[in-house]
Amino acid sequence: MNINKYPQIRPGKKLFKRVYVAIMLWTVGKAIQVAAKVDKEVKEELARLPNNFTLRMMVAPEKAFPLFFYAKTLPAFVVDKGLLFYGIQMLLHKDKEGKIKYLGADPKGKKVDLNIVFKNIEAAWLVLSFQESTATAYMHDRFVVEGDLVHSLTFVRVLDIVEVFLLPKIIAKLAVKRYPKWSEMSPLRKFVKRVVIYIRAYTF
Amino acid sequence: MLLPGFYDFCCRVRIVSGQNALEKIPAMLKKMKAHTPLIVTDKGVVGAGLVDVVRAAVAGELKLSNVYDNVPVDSDYKIVDEAAKIYRQKNCDSIIAIGGGSVIDTAKGANIVASLGGDTLLDYEGFSAVKRKLNPLVVIPTTAGTGSEMTLVAVIADPDRKIKMLFVSYFVLPDLAVLDPRMTKTLPDFLTASTAMDAMTHACEAYYCLEKNPLSDSFALRAIRIVSENLLKVIKNPADMEGRLALANASTMAGASFSNSMVGLVHNLGHTIGAICHVPHGTAMSILLPYGLEYNMHRCGEVIGEILLPLAGSEVYAKTKKEERPGKVVEFIRKMNNYLHEATGGRHPRYLKEIVDKNGAQVVTESLLPAIAEATMQDGARMANPEEFLPPDAMLVLEHAWEGKPLDLGKVNKGGKKIKY
Repeated sequence: MNINKYPQIRPGKKLFKRVYVAIMLWTVGKAIQVAAKVDKEVKEELARLPNNFTLRMMVAPEKAFPLFFYAKTLPAFVVDKGLLFYGIQMLLHKDKEGKIKYLGADPKGKKVDLNIVFKNIEAAWLVLSFQESTATAYMHDRFVVEGDLVHSLTFVRVLDIVEVFLLPKIIAKLAVKRYPKWSEMSPLRKFVKRVVIYIRAYTF
Repeated sequence: MLLPGFYDFCCRVRIVSGQNALEKIPAMLKKMKAHTPLIVTDKGVVGAGLVDVVRAAVAGELKLSNVYDNVPVDSDYKIVDEAAKIYRQKNCDSIIAIGGGSVIDTAKGANIVASLGGDTLLDYEGFSAVKRKLNPLVVIPTTAGTGSEMTLVAVIADPDRKIKMLFVSYFVLPDLAVLDPRMTKTLPDFLTASTAMDAMTHACEAYYCLEKNPLSDSFALRAIRIVSENLLKVIKNPADMEGRLALANASTMAGASFSNSMVGLVHNLGHTIGAICHVPHGTAMSILLPYGLEYNMHRCGEVIGEILLPLAGSEVYAKTKKEERPGKVVEFIRKMNNYLHEATGGRHPRYLKEIVDKNGAQVVTESLLPAIAEATMQDGARMANPEEFLPPDAMLVLEHAWEGKPLDLGKVNKGGKKIKY
């Protein structure tokens, strides 16, 4: 067999899954930023993190996905340029005053304190399409945590609350260990916050 | 048999168990090309004459003159660094740890620094920071409960930052664990009781928590059976060497089991109560185990019910209806705790309010419960618990465990389906 004629296996398939995961990470990042402002429980949970703290959630490997280069033609406000060069990820930062800010997908020049890495696109797809709850994914080793484990527990809790805000009960029940009863989260709080988070996340 | 979609299991510690197991150490060390071991132990173990028992067992074949016995109850990284310094000064090539959980973890830490170089353990904090094979480490447990000889983690305190650091790596696993009943013969009855119930908790939690797998299950079920069959016999007759060896084996099996399948709310609360009130780990475990089972019953009752077979025997298991088995497991463990309480003259507490210090003062006061409940959010064990466990849930469990009342199942927040492992 002529090795030179052997077809080179190129990465870069699963375009739909990659785009879906990128959109979900963007939504989750923006939603946490808004929820930290409007919801007391999320605010209290995030208070456990130290100030001047950067968190990154990403899909390994940390490199550009070839088909994403086509997205270069799109304007900057449509596609985060970080995705083009560093792969699918989102960064959240808690500043000196304790404010939470979504930093997009560009890790360049930023010191990451907690890195949550999905081992591959399939692992991220399973979790972010709610086929596997966060706890099950943790048990099935779908992601690696680099940094302080205690801080990752805080992030997982915040993720659970935000998922309850964002998703209808039938889907959120798949994502969290226990869907909150009315005594734990009133329907009024849930629906009002859902509307506020969606509007603010997608507008500014 | 339940087969999870994914699991990983690693247990590569060589185990030597028997009435004369200590005598095998020189030959085993020789095979590992080690000749000058450093003994890491604590003053209590030396005072009880256990180091002399090991010396006598290996006399003629191995000289055990290098001893570091400064390990305190809650070991910190400075102690580890000091032990590693002595290791180098004495030109040692291996470590023999003789003691309980704190001694074993200190020895694991000292082995990291001594093998990989550097002056301090702090350089190796976190997950998988240790990336290559370490020098030979032999562990001789003197309590039958911690199971630390089978775990891939060393828990060492940092007194400056007031935290417990985790050093997690498959290379941290010891090379050899030696189980000899002579080492637990002098253990007082109340410590025998609490450490064995610690092993029981490891096994039970490993069996029903989220990361359970067929291999950890087999270790857990056998460990439960051995503790159940032997603990009460050993408490009645402390000189029962076969029973003591059996408990040491159960502890090691439970260690292998929970090292690969994680633990849940019992350990979550136990770690927190230990950190805030300095309650001994085994004591907290034995008190909280029935509550952990009750709290998770609606999510994995069937799995908890299966524990009844090794716990109470086939006759009781067959007589009990399937739906009644989880409740029977809880009842059986409460009965064990009550029996141990009476047999030890009240030194094995059944409720949190029964725990007292040397002066007879209550250790866990009711006013501390909210702070404990809040702090449970900082412990990793909450992830593997089948049911969500938040501060209000922790408060519910703590209030019942403090009073000694069975958990009011009607008050437990239920919002999820039965667990699919």
